[in-house]
Amino acid sequence: MHPILARRERAGLYLAGWLPLAPLVALLFVWGGGLPWGWAAALALPLVLLYAQLCLAAWYPCRAVPLRQSRFWWLIAAHLLGALLSSALWVLLGWALAAVLAGLPYFRGLDERFAPLALPLFALGVPLYLVAVAVHYLILAFEASREAEARALAAQVEAREAELRALRAQLDPHFLFNSLNAVAALAGSDPGGARKMAILLAEFLRGSLRLSARASVPLAEELAHAAAYLAVERARFGERLAVEEEIEEAALGCLVPALILQPLVENAVRHGVAQLLDGGVVRLAARRAGGRLHLAVENPCDPDRRPSRRGSGESVGLANVAARLATRYGEAARLEVRAVEGRFRVELALPAEEAPKARHVGRALRN
Amino acid sequence: MTTLRVVIVDDEPGARSLLAEYLAAEPDVELVAACANGFEAVKAVGELRPDLLLLDVQMPKLDGFEVLELLEAPPAVVFVTAYDEHAVRAFDVHAVDYLVKPFPPERLAASLARVRERLARGEAGAPPARATTAARGRPLERLVVRAGERIHVLPLDRVDYVEARDDAVRVRAGKEDHFKPQTLADLEATLPPGRFVRIHRSYLLNLDRLARLERYAKDSHLAILQDGTRLPVSRAGYARLKTLL
Repeated sequence: MHPILARRERAGLYLAGWLPLAPLVALLFVWGGGLPWGWAAALALPLVLLYAQLCLAAWYPCRAVPLRQSRFWWLIAAHLLGALLSSALWVLLGWALAAVLAGLPYFRGLDERFAPLALPLFALGVPLYLVAVAVHYLILAFEASREAEARALAAQVEAREAELRALRAQLDPHFLFNSLNAVAALAGSDPGGARKMAILLAEFLRGSLRLSARASVPLAEELAHAAAYLAVERARFGERLAVEEEIEEAALGCLVPALILQPLVENAVRHGVAQLLDGGVVRLAARRAGGRLHLAVENPCDPDRRPSRRGSGESVGLANVAARLATRYGEAARLEVRAVEGRFRVELALPAEEAPKARHVGRALRN
Repeated sequence: MTTLRVVIVDDEPGARSLLAEYLAAEPDVELVAACANGFEAVKAVGELRPDLLLLDVQMPKLDGFEVLELLEAPPAVVFVTAYDEHAVRAFDVHAVDYLVKPFPPERLAASLARVRERLARGEAGAPPARATTAARGRPLERLVVRAGERIHVLPLDRVDYVEARDDAVRVRAGKEDHFKPQTLADLEATLPPGRFVRIHRSYLLNLDRLARLERYAKDSHLAILQDGTRLPVSRAGYARLKTLL
């Protein structure tokens, strides 16, 4: 669709822009051809309006030879040709109009008086057409920039939505609402505690967003995120939840897929400790043995609950972790689940890749 | 206005203290117990006979719905939970209200007003929630039964069979019998299909326990269980078993 014809107000504005040309053309007829004012006006107005329509056709060559991507000479040639053709057509139409009008008694002889006006009219038609070309290029540029803006906005929205989807997938609504409830509870009795809890929660949420945007993170960061989560849960569950860590220094710099431990830690709380009347201890372990990184999450669980029902949140989390390890490392990674009498333990073993910075330091030391 | 006697049940200490704080600001409300789990709740309701139970849903061992199921004369119930996935079920068991955490004190006050209204109309609490687990939407994974003061949570794989008694069922698990005031048909409707089979008008059998079938008379069989127990199998029950085996 033609950008000017597409909207009524634009078409009106375009025609209004042409109207002041009508008296000018009439003047040309009076001075250049000695026409009486009445004849000149009757010929000039329809001719200008006609040419306005004709020049709309400039849109097609403008689109065919875009300003940025076309060679200069090619541009000149295309538009000059367009100008010559449309101006010639304009003169022809003028001639036809004069001939028709000459049939009326008032305009008798107009067709003969038109002949000397043909050349000046042609000379005027060429620059007018070129102006129309410029206007069309302007409109095209305007539309392109608006479209680009809209596209950028859409891409931004899409990216934000993807982020939110990732967050929602990881965020357990129970966790979120219960934590907010804990903040509300503390606000009455322990404002300092409420503030601390709000900050912990914010830290955890920020971490979720940050980590979900990355493919790999150093284990230290992944553990810090798990620690933020566990701190919030401990504020909720009080004495029922305890945490023990057994982390080797050498393991901290290893790269792991972002948020690979998080579903396991959440399962350990949600489906493990939270299901026990007296709670229990969640144990996190990490060690590096040669080229392998070993991670483990262990928790006590209710032996009466059937572990890992298919389709439960618990098994979905585990399946996701397994699938992510498989796509990333193939056969080189392993996930093992051990559920024995009241204890649930998930072990991961994967290739120990070091974070680039750490490797750099290592090389510098060796030199 | 008569004093409303309230029991709080929530496994998170913060959630309990928040409810207690809200209740303290309400006139004519007495907090008679704050329970950290379902067992404490069943005990407290039995002993203290409160007017209202503010009940969390997600709790260890016994969830809020199971607590209701175990109460002989349940008081009015307002569920207090973090997430609205249980709302439909809550109204199926005639809860007066359903609060999602966190909520402002005014919201609790509105619930209390609704409870008083119900009590004033002489409508006591929720009717005993025997058949209410049918509203659960997914099959049971465990049975809760009580014997006097004791509450047992039986994972389904510990249940051998269930026998219909007059107004109750006898749940056989290992060497123990448990009684539950419920009809066999109601219970059957809530159990996972395929794991338990109605082999007889009066018997529901855990399929894992079946050792073999013996012909007994022309139209009837006997199911021999792994521990040697013999149960009658009707003709319809035999047909059902055959499609499953």
